[in-house]
Amino acid sequence: MIERILLLGMFLIGFWGIVSRKNLIKKIFGLNIINNSVVILFVLEGSRAGSSAPIMEQGISNIVDPVPQALMLTAIVIGVCISALALALAFRLYKATGTYNIQEIKRKVHNGF
Amino acid sequence: MKQKAINVLTIISLASVTLVLLPLFLENSPWPLSARNYLELHGVGDSGAINLVSAIYLGFRVFDTLGETIVLLTAVSGTIGVLTRAGAVLAEGYDTSGTPALTEQEKKVIMDDHTFTLAGEKRRSHALRTHLLEVVTGVLGPVVLLFGFYLMLYGHLSPGGGFQGGVVTASGIIFLALGNRIGAKNPLIRASVLDRIEAAAFLLLILASLSGILMGRGFFGNPLQDVTAIPAGYIILLNGIIGLKVGAGIGFLCIAMVGREIS
Amino acid sequence: MTIMLLVLMLGLSIFMLVSRDLLFGIIALSAVSLLSALLFYLQQAPDVAITEAAVGAGVSTVVFIGIIRYTERKDRDP
Repeated sequence: MIERILLLGMFLIGFWGIVSRKNLIKKIFGLNIINNSVVILFVLEGSRAGSSAPIMEQGISNIVDPVPQALMLTAIVIGVCISALALALAFRLYKATGTYNIQEIKRKVHNGF
Repeated sequence: MKQKAINVLTIISLASVTLVLLPLFLENSPWPLSARNYLELHGVGDSGAINLVSAIYLGFRVFDTLGETIVLLTAVSGTIGVLTRAGAVLAEGYDTSGTPALTEQEKKVIMDDHTFTLAGEKRRSHALRTHLLEVVTGVLGPVVLLFGFYLMLYGHLSPGGGFQGGVVTASGIIFLALGNRIGAKNPLIRASVLDRIEAAAFLLLILASLSGILMGRGFFGNPLQDVTAIPAGYIILLNGIIGLKVGAGIGFLCIAMVGREIS
Repeated sequence: MTIMLLVLMLGLSIFMLVSRDLLFGIIALSAVSLLSALLFYLQQAPDVAITEAAVGAGVSTVVFIGIIRYTERKDRDP
């Protein structure tokens, strides 16, 4: 119960980072934090259902739910792809305008460089 | 004044997100156990793999894996396109007088796509450059690659599998590239080789998925289910293909982002 | 144990977003990934732990540092 409140707090911290920080790299940090918190939430909820790891050797019973773990594998790999693409776009913006500050970039794009 | 408006908007958006997510994070209904019960009894028999997570993402939910490989392909090609050619074409007409111009020394840095080390040891702070990095990572690189291949091929018997082995292989490729000495030509860290490995693995995945149709088991069906005594051979093949794809794709991404000076 | 790890992760996330040096933020991101890999191992999920450790502490950190290296490292205004 308290773990879920802490995970909600982590999600809100990531969201606050995206909305209120002006540096582009800080916004990408916020994306990563949100991704991390949702993955931890799924694995935590799935592990409430049992007590041993889902490797069915001889005599293992009462395993945890393996379906959320299989889904989160895909989610983690896609998360790193999202970060890499976002960083490539941020790099291009830096090379074109000279700054990472989102308000400066907006002003420069609006005034035609 | 504008800053105050932004602060108020931030607080309002945070409050509304909390309001939407609070019932989701706080609900207390019991986790439905029907999937776990079914998998505990029939998972090993249906697919032949002892590791149930491998059985799920290669047997029961294999369309998720197919979608993930497509997303990986798109993300890697998009990143490379934005970083190198397409990005440079887009930035042609923009006035870049605001950015600090690249000096001649910086332009000579890493034009070679083999190595991470700088050509001729011309570096701003070459007092910090020791041989520790090259020696340690150059020796550890093949060991990490071997571990990655072990995880890929034994994924159905112990923790491991396609994704896990693939990302560890990508780390091994980064180690090899960091430990590369100037002048040594290692084909595994060249961008063209990794590119072709990823494309070939994707093609093999499509072929392996269609092979089930020939034996009458449907798309992504296991063709070895009734024929041989080891139905897990299909799982091993798929794990290896996915491991190669993910490893080569993410390795290519890292080498493109770190090893080449973007002009 | 999980509550302690989650509190540490919260602290590191706040530090990541308010630090003035971007390299410190990248190292904090790597530390958050490492702690979450430990959390996955404690929750009986070994496959997710291997993937998170290799991705978070390896690939993601390298990608971030590879981009910061060619641009600036200081966060001029938070």
